[in-house]
Amino acid sequence: MVMASSFDGQLVPQPAIGVGTVVDSRGKHRILAELKHLEQELRYLQEELEEVEKMGNISSVCKDLLPCIETKSDPLLPVLNGVVNPLWDRWFEGSPSSPDCGCWIL
Amino acid sequence: MSVSELKERHVAAIEMVNSLRERLKEKRRLLLDTDVAAFARSQGKRPVCFGATDLVCCRTLQGHTGKVYSLDWTSERNRIVSASKDGRLIVWNALTSQKTHAIKLPCPWVMTCAFSPSGQSVAGGGLDSVCSIFNLNSPNDRDGNLPVSRTLSGHKGYVSCCQYVPDDDNHLITGSGDQTCVLWDITTGLRTSVFGGEFQSGHTADVSSVSISGSNTFISGSCDATARLWDTRVASRAVQTFHGHDGDVNTVKFFPDGNRFGTGSDDGTCRLYDIRTGHVLQVYHQLHSDDTNPHVTSIAFSISGRLLFAGYKNGDCYVWDTLLAQMVLNLGTLHNSHEGPITCLGLSADGSALCTGSWDSNLKIWAFGGQRKVN
Repeated sequence: MVMASSFDGQLVPQPAIGVGTVVDSRGKHRILAELKHLEQELRYLQEELEEVEKMGNISSVCKDLLPCIETKSDPLLPVLNGVVNPLWDRWFEGSPSSPDCGCWIL
Repeated sequence: MSVSELKERHVAAIEMVNSLRERLKEKRRLLLDTDVAAFARSQGKRPVCFGATDLVCCRTLQGHTGKVYSLDWTSERNRIVSASKDGRLIVWNALTSQKTHAIKLPCPWVMTCAFSPSGQSVAGGGLDSVCSIFNLNSPNDRDGNLPVSRTLSGHKGYVSCCQYVPDDDNHLITGSGDQTCVLWDITTGLRTSVFGGEFQSGHTADVSSVSISGSNTFISGSCDATARLWDTRVASRAVQTFHGHDGDVNTVKFFPDGNRFGTGSDDGTCRLYDIRTGHVLQVYHQLHSDDTNPHVTSIAFSISGRLLFAGYKNGDCYVWDTLLAQMVLNLGTLHNSHEGPITCLGLSADGSALCTGSWDSNLKIWAFGGQRKVN
Protein backbone atom coordinates (compact mmCIF):
# COMPACT_ATOMS: atom_id res chain seq x y z
CA MET A 1 0.00 0.00 0.00
CA VAL A 2 1.33 3.47 -0.80
CA MET A 3 0.13 6.95 0.09
CA ALA A 4 -0.84 9.81 -2.12
CA SER A 5 -1.61 13.39 -1.14
CA SER A 6 -4.63 15.25 -2.38
CA PHE A 7 -4.46 19.02 -2.83
CA ASP A 8 -6.07 19.69 0.56
CA GLY A 9 -3.19 17.86 2.23
CA GLN A 10 -5.22 14.79 3.11
CA LEU A 11 -3.48 11.45 2.76
CA VAL A 12 -5.30 8.73 0.82
CA PRO A 13 -4.29 5.06 0.98
CA GLN A 14 -3.65 3.62 -2.49
CA PRO A 15 -3.58 -0.12 -3.32
CA ALA A 16 -0.13 -1.45 -4.24
CA ILE A 17 0.27 -3.46 -7.39
CA GLY A 18 1.81 -6.94 -7.25
CA VAL A 19 1.17 -10.56 -6.48
CA GLY A 20 2.99 -13.49 -4.84
CA THR A 21 5.08 -14.09 -1.73
CA VAL A 22 8.16 -12.25 -3.04
CA VAL A 23 6.13 -9.11 -3.50
CA ASP A 24 4.51 -9.61 -0.05
CA SER A 25 8.00 -9.54 1.50
CA ARG A 26 8.95 -6.43 -0.45
CA GLY A 27 5.54 -4.94 0.41
CA LYS A 28 6.10 -5.51 4.15
CA HIS A 29 9.38 -3.59 4.15
CA ARG A 30 7.81 -0.77 2.20
CA ILE A 31 4.81 -0.56 4.53
CA LEU A 32 7.13 -0.53 7.57
CA ALA A 33 9.16 2.32 6.06
CA GLU A 34 6.02 4.30 5.26
CA LEU A 35 4.68 3.68 8.75
CA LYS A 36 7.88 5.03 10.23
CA HIS A 37 7.54 8.09 8.00
CA LEU A 38 3.93 8.59 9.11
CA GLU A 39 4.86 8.31 12.79
CA GLN A 40 7.55 10.93 12.21
CA GLU A 41 4.99 13.15 10.47
CA LEU A 42 2.65 12.75 13.47
CA ARG A 43 5.40 13.95 15.81
CA TYR A 44 6.09 17.01 13.60
CA LEU A 45 2.38 17.84 13.43
CA GLN A 46 2.05 17.52 17.21
CA GLU A 47 5.00 19.92 17.66
CA GLU A 48 3.41 22.38 15.26
CA LEU A 49 0.07 22.15 17.08
CA GLU A 50 1.80 22.99 20.37
CA GLU A 51 3.46 26.01 18.70
CA VAL A 52 0.19 27.25 17.21
CA GLU A 53 -1.51 26.98 20.64
CA LYS A 54 0.95 29.61 21.90
CA MET A 55 0.58 31.97 18.94
CA GLY A 56 -1.14 35.33 18.87
CA ASN A 57 -3.64 36.52 16.28
CA ILE A 58 -2.60 37.65 12.81
CA SER A 59 -3.13 41.32 13.74
CA SER A 60 -0.04 41.15 15.98
CA VAL A 61 2.01 40.01 12.97
CA CYS A 62 0.53 42.65 10.65
CA LYS A 63 1.74 45.41 12.99
CA ASP A 64 5.36 44.45 12.15
CA LEU A 65 4.79 44.61 8.42
CA LEU A 66 3.92 48.28 7.96
CA PRO A 67 7.11 49.87 9.34
CA CYS A 68 9.13 47.27 7.45
CA ILE A 69 7.74 48.50 4.13
CA GLU A 70 7.49 52.21 4.83
CA THR A 71 11.07 52.83 5.94
CA LYS A 72 12.62 51.73 2.64
CA SER A 73 13.13 53.94 -0.43
CA ASP A 74 11.58 52.21 -3.43
CA PRO A 75 12.53 53.48 -6.93
CA LEU A 76 9.35 52.05 -8.47
CA LEU A 77 6.93 53.93 -6.19
CA PRO A 78 5.50 57.34 -7.11
CA VAL A 79 5.91 58.55 -3.51
CA LEU A 80 9.26 58.14 -1.75
CA ASN A 81 10.19 58.04 1.90
CA GLY A 82 13.81 58.96 1.37
CA VAL A 83 16.33 60.37 -1.04
CA VAL A 84 16.18 59.78 -4.78
CA ASN A 85 19.25 57.99 -6.11
CA PRO A 86 20.09 59.51 -9.53
CA LEU A 87 21.25 56.12 -10.78
CA TRP A 88 17.66 54.91 -10.66
CA ASP A 89 16.93 57.03 -13.74
CA ARG A 90 19.75 55.59 -15.85
CA TRP A 91 17.12 53.67 -17.84
CA PHE A 92 15.94 56.97 -19.32
CA GLU A 93 19.23 58.79 -19.80
CA GLY A 94 20.53 59.26 -23.31
CA SER A 95 19.99 56.44 -25.76
CA PRO A 96 21.60 53.04 -25.57
CA SER A 97 24.05 52.15 -28.38
CA SER A 98 21.09 50.61 -30.16
CA PRO A 99 17.75 51.24 -28.47
CA ASP A 100 16.49 47.69 -29.00
CA CYS A 101 19.26 45.42 -30.23
CA GLY A 102 17.40 43.12 -32.57
CA CYS A 103 20.16 40.86 -33.83
CA TRP A 104 19.01 37.27 -33.79
CA ILE A 105 21.01 34.51 -32.23
CA LEU A 106 21.10 31.66 -34.75
CA MET B 1 3.69 -8.50 12.70
CA SER B 2 1.81 -9.74 9.63
CA VAL B 3 1.37 -7.71 6.47
CA SER B 4 -2.37 -7.32 7.08
CA GLU B 5 -1.74 -6.03 10.64
CA LEU B 6 0.84 -3.60 9.28
CA LYS B 7 -1.64 -2.40 6.69
CA GLU B 8 -4.22 -1.78 9.42
CA ARG B 9 -1.70 0.26 11.40
CA HIS B 10 -0.83 2.13 8.22
CA VAL B 11 -4.47 3.07 7.59
CA ALA B 12 -4.86 4.12 11.24
CA ALA B 13 -1.73 6.27 11.05
CA ILE B 14 -3.01 7.98 7.90
CA GLU B 15 -6.29 8.77 9.67
CA MET B 16 -4.43 10.25 12.64
CA VAL B 17 -2.22 12.40 10.39
CA ASN B 18 -5.27 13.68 8.49
CA SER B 19 -7.09 14.39 11.74
CA LEU B 20 -4.14 16.33 13.17
CA ARG B 21 -3.85 18.36 9.97
CA GLU B 22 -7.53 19.30 10.22
CA ARG B 23 -7.06 20.36 13.83
CA LEU B 24 -4.08 22.50 12.85
CA LYS B 25 -6.04 24.08 10.02
CA GLU B 26 -8.90 24.90 12.41
CA LYS B 27 -6.55 26.33 15.08
CA ARG B 28 -4.97 28.62 12.48
CA ARG B 29 -8.38 29.68 11.16
CA LEU B 30 -9.37 30.81 14.66
CA LEU B 31 -6.34 33.13 14.75
CA LEU B 32 -7.38 34.86 11.51
CA ASP B 33 -8.84 37.99 13.10
CA THR B 34 -7.74 40.16 10.16
CA ASP B 35 -5.50 40.24 7.12
CA VAL B 36 -2.88 42.73 5.96
CA ALA B 37 -5.32 44.73 3.82
CA ALA B 38 -7.92 45.14 6.56
CA PHE B 39 -5.23 46.09 9.05
CA ALA B 40 -3.64 48.60 6.65
CA ARG B 41 -7.04 50.19 5.92
CA SER B 42 -7.67 50.51 9.66
CA GLN B 43 -4.39 52.45 9.86
CA GLY B 44 -5.59 54.85 7.17
CA LYS B 45 -3.30 53.58 4.42
CA ARG B 46 -4.29 54.40 0.85
CA PRO B 47 -3.39 52.36 -2.24
CA VAL B 48 -0.44 53.20 -4.45
CA CYS B 49 -1.64 55.32 -7.35
CA PHE B 50 0.26 55.19 -10.65
CA GLY B 51 -0.11 57.81 -13.38
CA ALA B 52 -0.66 56.57 -16.93
CA THR B 53 3.01 56.91 -17.87
CA ASP B 54 4.69 56.16 -14.55
CA LEU B 55 5.77 52.55 -15.15
CA VAL B 56 6.91 52.15 -18.73
CA CYS B 57 8.64 49.60 -20.90
CA CYS B 58 12.02 51.19 -21.60
CA ARG B 59 13.82 48.26 -23.27
CA THR B 60 12.87 45.23 -25.33
CA LEU B 61 15.63 42.61 -25.39
CA GLN B 62 15.28 40.68 -28.64
CA GLY B 63 17.41 37.75 -29.64
CA HIS B 64 15.90 34.50 -28.44
CA THR B 65 14.08 32.52 -31.12
CA GLY B 66 11.85 30.63 -28.71
CA LYS B 67 9.84 31.07 -25.52
CA VAL B 68 11.76 32.61 -22.63
CA TYR B 69 11.42 30.41 -19.54
CA SER B 70 13.69 31.96 -16.94
CA LEU B 71 15.77 35.04 -16.17
CA ASP B 72 18.09 36.26 -13.42
CA TRP B 73 19.82 39.60 -12.73
CA THR B 74 23.38 40.00 -11.49
CA SER B 75 24.13 41.41 -8.07
CA GLU B 76 25.68 44.45 -9.76
CA ARG B 77 23.24 46.57 -11.59
CA ASN B 78 22.72 45.89 -15.23
CA ARG B 79 23.26 42.33 -16.51
CA ILE B 80 20.71 39.61 -17.02
CA VAL B 81 20.93 35.95 -18.02
CA SER B 82 17.90 34.38 -19.73
CA ALA B 83 17.02 30.83 -20.76
CA SER B 84 14.84 29.91 -23.70
CA LYS B 85 13.23 27.04 -25.56
CA ASP B 86 15.74 27.84 -28.35
CA GLY B 87 18.26 25.94 -26.22
CA ARG B 88 20.37 28.94 -25.31
CA LEU B 89 21.30 31.12 -22.40
CA ILE B 90 21.82 34.74 -23.38
CA VAL B 91 23.68 37.22 -21.19
CA TRP B 92 22.49 40.79 -21.71
CA ASN B 93 23.61 44.23 -20.71
CA ALA B 94 20.11 45.46 -19.95
CA LEU B 95 21.15 49.13 -20.07
CA THR B 96 22.57 48.97 -23.60
CA SER B 97 20.43 46.02 -24.77
CA GLN B 98 23.61 44.35 -26.05
CA LYS B 99 24.11 40.60 -25.84
CA THR B 100 27.48 39.72 -24.36
CA HIS B 101 27.15 35.92 -24.52
CA ALA B 102 24.92 33.46 -26.35
CA ILE B 103 25.55 30.04 -24.81
CA LYS B 104 24.44 26.90 -26.58
CA LEU B 105 23.39 24.37 -23.95
CA PRO B 106 24.37 20.68 -24.04
CA CYS B 107 20.67 19.84 -23.81
CA PRO B 108 18.29 22.33 -25.47
CA TRP B 109 15.40 21.64 -23.07
CA VAL B 110 16.34 24.25 -20.51
CA MET B 111 13.93 25.39 -17.81
CA THR B 112 15.95 27.59 -15.48
CA CYS B 113 19.03 29.80 -15.25
CA ALA B 114 20.89 31.79 -12.63
CA PHE B 115 23.70 34.34 -12.39
CA SER B 116 26.47 33.78 -9.86
CA PRO B 117 26.84 36.51 -7.21
CA SER B 118 30.18 37.67 -8.69
CA GLY B 119 28.71 37.78 -12.19
CA GLN B 120 31.46 35.53 -13.52
CA SER B 121 29.39 32.39 -14.05
CA VAL B 122 25.92 31.34 -15.08
CA ALA B 123 24.01 28.13 -14.48
CA GLY B 124 21.33 26.45 -16.56
CA GLY B 125 19.30 23.28 -16.10
CA GLY B 126 16.28 21.46 -17.48
CA LEU B 127 15.02 18.16 -18.83
CA ASP B 128 18.49 16.58 -18.90
CA SER B 129 18.25 16.48 -15.07
CA VAL B 130 21.59 18.24 -14.67
CA CYS B 131 22.65 21.79 -13.94
CA SER B 132 25.46 23.06 -16.20
CA ILE B 133 27.82 25.79 -15.03
CA PHE B 134 29.55 28.14 -17.50
CA ASN B 135 32.42 30.48 -16.67
CA LEU B 136 31.80 33.61 -18.75
CA ASN B 137 35.52 34.39 -18.94
CA SER B 138 36.48 31.04 -20.49
CA PRO B 139 37.62 30.97 -24.10
CA ASN B 140 35.25 29.34 -26.58
CA ASP B 141 35.88 25.77 -27.67
CA ARG B 142 36.71 24.68 -31.22
CA ASP B 143 33.05 24.90 -32.23
CA GLY B 144 32.83 28.47 -30.99
CA ASN B 145 30.75 27.49 -27.94
CA LEU B 146 31.39 28.43 -24.34
CA PRO B 147 32.43 25.15 -22.66
CA VAL B 148 30.67 23.70 -19.64
CA SER B 149 32.96 24.26 -16.66
CA ARG B 150 31.06 21.94 -14.28
CA THR B 151 28.11 19.55 -14.58
CA LEU B 152 26.01 19.01 -11.46
CA SER B 153 24.52 15.51 -11.85
CA GLY B 154 22.46 13.59 -9.36
CA HIS B 155 18.84 14.60 -9.71
CA LYS B 156 16.52 11.82 -10.86
CA GLY B 157 14.19 14.22 -12.57
CA TYR B 158 14.21 17.50 -14.50
CA VAL B 159 15.78 20.59 -12.94
CA SER B 160 13.00 23.16 -12.66
CA CYS B 161 14.76 25.97 -10.80
CA CYS B 162 18.16 27.01 -9.55
CA GLN B 163 19.61 29.84 -7.51
CA TYR B 164 23.12 30.60 -6.22
CA VAL B 165 23.56 31.02 -2.48
CA PRO B 166 23.97 34.80 -1.88
CA ASP B 167 27.60 35.99 -1.89
CA ASP B 168 28.81 32.47 -2.65
CA ASP B 169 29.86 31.53 -6.18
CA ASN B 170 30.60 27.96 -5.06
CA HIS B 171 27.16 26.90 -3.86
CA LEU B 172 23.88 26.58 -5.68
CA ILE B 173 20.45 25.20 -4.79
CA THR B 174 18.33 23.38 -7.36
CA GLY B 175 14.74 22.15 -7.31
CA SER B 176 13.63 19.15 -9.33
CA GLY B 177 10.83 17.04 -10.73
CA ASP B 178 12.23 14.26 -8.51
CA GLN B 179 10.57 16.11 -5.55
CA THR B 180 13.86 17.13 -3.95
CA CYS B 181 16.01 20.23 -3.60
CA VAL B 182 19.77 19.88 -3.60
CA LEU B 183 22.55 22.10 -2.26
CA TRP B 184 25.58 21.68 -4.53
CA ASP B 185 29.28 22.32 -4.04
CA ILE B 186 30.20 23.60 -7.48
CA THR B 187 33.96 23.20 -6.92
CA THR B 188 33.60 19.43 -6.55
CA GLY B 189 30.33 18.99 -8.44
CA LEU B 190 28.98 16.97 -5.49
CA ARG B 191 25.74 17.22 -3.56
CA THR B 192 26.31 18.74 -0.13
CA SER B 193 22.72 18.06 1.00
CA VAL B 194 19.49 16.60 -0.39
CA PHE B 195 16.26 18.07 0.96
CA GLY B 196 13.29 15.73 0.80
CA GLY B 197 13.07 12.57 -1.25
CA GLU B 198 11.74 9.15 -0.49
CA PHE B 199 10.74 8.69 3.15
CA GLN B 200 12.04 12.06 4.23
CA SER B 201 9.79 14.89 5.28
CA GLY B 202 9.80 16.74 1.98
CA HIS B 203 7.65 17.57 -0.98
CA THR B 204 5.37 14.89 -2.36
CA ALA B 205 5.36 16.20 -5.93
CA ASP B 206 7.65 18.09 -8.33
CA VAL B 207 9.51 21.08 -6.93
CA SER B 208 8.89 24.10 -9.13
CA SER B 209 10.66 27.02 -7.47
CA VAL B 210 13.19 27.98 -4.79
CA SER B 211 14.06 31.26 -3.09
CA ILE B 212 17.06 31.70 -0.80
CA SER B 213 17.48 34.12 2.11
CA GLY B 214 20.92 34.53 3.66
CA SER B 215 23.19 31.51 3.64
CA ASN B 216 21.11 29.09 5.70
CA THR B 217 17.46 29.42 4.73
CA PHE B 218 15.43 28.76 1.64
CA ILE B 219 11.84 28.21 0.60
CA SER B 220 10.67 25.71 -2.01
CA GLY B 221 7.36 25.60 -3.86
CA SER B 222 5.86 22.47 -5.33
CA CYS B 223 3.11 20.82 -7.36
CA ASP B 224 1.99 19.29 -4.04
CA ALA B 225 0.37 22.71 -3.39
CA THR B 226 2.68 23.54 -0.49
CA ALA B 227 5.67 25.72 0.18
CA ARG B 228 8.34 24.47 2.60
CA LEU B 229 10.95 26.27 4.62
CA TRP B 230 14.37 24.59 4.89
CA ASP B 231 17.46 25.14 7.00
CA THR B 232 20.42 24.18 4.78
CA ARG B 233 22.15 22.70 7.85
CA VAL B 234 19.28 20.27 8.50
CA ALA B 235 18.32 18.30 5.43
CA SER B 236 16.33 15.56 7.17
CA ARG B 237 13.12 17.52 7.46
CA ALA B 238 11.55 20.79 6.38
CA VAL B 239 11.44 23.36 9.19
CA GLN B 240 7.85 24.15 8.26
CA THR B 241 5.23 23.31 5.64
CA PHE B 242 2.85 26.04 4.46
CA HIS B 243 -0.57 24.95 3.25
CA GLY B 244 -3.40 27.00 1.77
CA HIS B 245 -3.10 26.86 -2.00
CA ASP B 246 -5.51 24.71 -3.99
CA GLY B 247 -3.16 24.04 -6.87
CA ASP B 248 0.49 23.75 -7.87
CA VAL B 249 2.71 26.37 -6.29
CA ASN B 250 4.65 27.60 -9.32
CA THR B 251 6.72 30.36 -7.78
CA VAL B 252 8.04 31.41 -4.37
CA LYS B 253 9.95 34.56 -3.42
CA PHE B 254 11.21 35.88 -0.11
CA PHE B 255 9.82 39.21 1.05
CA PRO B 256 12.62 41.81 1.35
CA ASP B 257 12.85 41.54 5.16
CA GLY B 258 13.31 37.77 5.04
CA ASN B 259 10.55 37.14 7.64
CA ARG B 260 7.80 36.58 5.06
CA PHE B 261 7.52 35.14 1.60
CA GLY B 262 5.17 35.23 -1.36
CA THR B 263 3.81 32.40 -3.49
CA GLY B 264 1.98 32.13 -6.82
CA SER B 265 -0.16 29.18 -7.83
CA ASP B 266 -2.25 27.40 -10.45
CA ASP B 267 -5.22 28.30 -8.24
CA GLY B 268 -4.89 31.85 -9.58
CA THR B 269 -3.87 33.42 -6.27
CA CYS B 270 -0.73 34.84 -4.76
CA ARG B 271 -0.28 34.58 -1.02
CA LEU B 272 1.88 36.26 1.59
CA TYR B 273 2.98 33.93 4.38
CA ASP B 274 4.60 34.78 7.71
CA ILE B 275 7.55 32.51 8.42
CA ARG B 276 7.61 32.77 12.19
CA THR B 277 3.94 31.84 12.65
CA GLY B 278 3.11 30.05 9.39
CA HIS B 279 0.01 32.22 8.92
CA VAL B 280 -1.31 33.33 5.54
CA LEU B 281 -1.20 37.10 5.99
CA GLN B 282 -2.89 37.99 2.71
CA VAL B 283 -4.39 36.43 -0.41
CA TYR B 284 -4.09 38.34 -3.69
CA HIS B 285 -6.80 37.34 -6.13
CA GLN B 286 -8.55 39.22 -8.90
CA LEU B 287 -12.04 38.18 -9.93
CA HIS B 288 -12.54 38.00 -13.68
CA SER B 289 -15.85 38.78 -15.39
CA ASP B 290 -15.45 35.70 -17.61
CA ASP B 291 -14.93 33.41 -14.59
CA THR B 292 -11.43 32.46 -15.72
CA ASN B 293 -8.72 31.92 -13.14
CA PRO B 294 -5.36 32.37 -14.88
CA HIS B 295 -2.44 30.53 -13.33
CA VAL B 296 0.27 32.59 -11.64
CA THR B 297 3.62 31.78 -13.27
CA SER B 298 6.07 34.09 -11.52
CA ILE B 299 6.29 36.74 -8.79
CA ALA B 300 8.72 39.34 -7.48
CA PHE B 301 8.57 41.98 -4.74
CA SER B 302 9.76 45.55 -5.22
CA ILE B 303 12.71 46.48 -3.01
CA SER B 304 10.52 47.83 -0.18
CA GLY B 305 7.96 45.04 -0.53
CA ARG B 306 5.14 47.53 -1.17
CA LEU B 307 4.62 46.17 -4.69
CA LEU B 308 4.11 42.55 -5.70
CA PHE B 309 4.60 41.86 -9.40
CA ALA B 310 2.80 38.74 -10.64
CA GLY B 311 2.94 37.23 -14.12
CA TYR B 312 -0.01 35.13 -15.29
CA LYS B 313 -0.49 32.51 -17.99
CA ASN B 314 -2.96 34.71 -19.88
CA GLY B 315 -0.37 37.46 -20.44
CA ASP B 316 -1.39 39.70 -17.56
CA CYS B 317 1.30 41.14 -15.31
CA TYR B 318 -0.41 42.56 -12.27
CA VAL B 319 1.21 45.07 -9.97
CA TRP B 320 -0.33 44.43 -6.55
CA ASP B 321 -0.23 46.88 -3.67
CA THR B 322 0.84 44.29 -1.07
CA LEU B 323 -0.52 46.34 1.84
CA LEU B 324 -3.99 47.06 0.46
CA ALA B 325 -4.25 43.86 -1.68
CA GLN B 326 -5.36 45.91 -4.67
CA MET B 327 -4.22 45.44 -8.23
CA VAL B 328 -2.96 48.95 -9.09
CA LEU B 329 -1.62 48.36 -12.58
CA ASN B 330 -1.58 45.68 -15.28
CA LEU B 331 1.67 45.82 -17.25
CA GLY B 332 0.09 43.37 -19.68
CA THR B 333 -2.23 46.07 -21.00
CA LEU B 334 0.33 48.86 -21.27
CA HIS B 335 1.85 50.15 -24.47
CA ASN B 336 4.58 47.88 -25.83
CA SER B 337 3.73 44.99 -23.50
CA HIS B 338 4.42 41.33 -24.25
CA GLU B 339 2.40 39.38 -26.79
CA GLY B 340 2.19 36.17 -24.84
CA PRO B 341 2.17 34.68 -21.33
CA ILE B 342 4.78 35.99 -18.93
CA THR B 343 6.86 33.09 -17.59
CA CYS B 344 9.42 34.84 -15.44
CA LEU B 345 10.21 38.17 -13.88
CA GLY B 346 12.78 39.71 -11.57
CA LEU B 347 13.93 42.99 -10.05
CA SER B 348 17.35 44.52 -10.61
CA ALA B 349 19.60 44.56 -7.54
CA ASP B 350 18.88 48.24 -6.78
CA GLY B 351 15.15 47.78 -7.39
CA SER B 352 15.03 50.39 -10.15
CA ALA B 353 13.92 48.06 -12.94
CA LEU B 354 11.74 45.01 -13.45
CA CYS B 355 12.56 42.50 -16.19
CA THR B 356 9.84 40.25 -17.61
CA GLY B 357 10.30 37.25 -19.92
CA SER B 358 7.61 35.80 -22.14
CA TRP B 359 6.52 33.14 -24.60
CA ASP B 360 6.83 35.89 -27.24
CA SER B 361 10.65 35.23 -27.01
CA ASN B 362 11.39 38.71 -25.71
CA LEU B 363 12.49 40.19 -22.42
CA LYS B 364 11.30 43.64 -21.42
CA ILE B 365 12.65 46.13 -18.91
CA TRP B 366 10.18 48.29 -16.98
CA ALA B 367 11.14 51.33 -14.91
CA PHE B 368 9.55 54.36 -13.26
CA GLY B 369 9.59 57.26 -15.72
CA GLY B 370 7.22 59.65 -14.00
CA GLN B 371 7.63 62.43 -11.42
CA ARG B 372 8.37 61.20 -7.93
CA LYS B 373 7.03 62.94 -4.83
CA VAL B 374 9.34 62.82 -1.84
CA ASN B 375 7.89 62.74 1.67
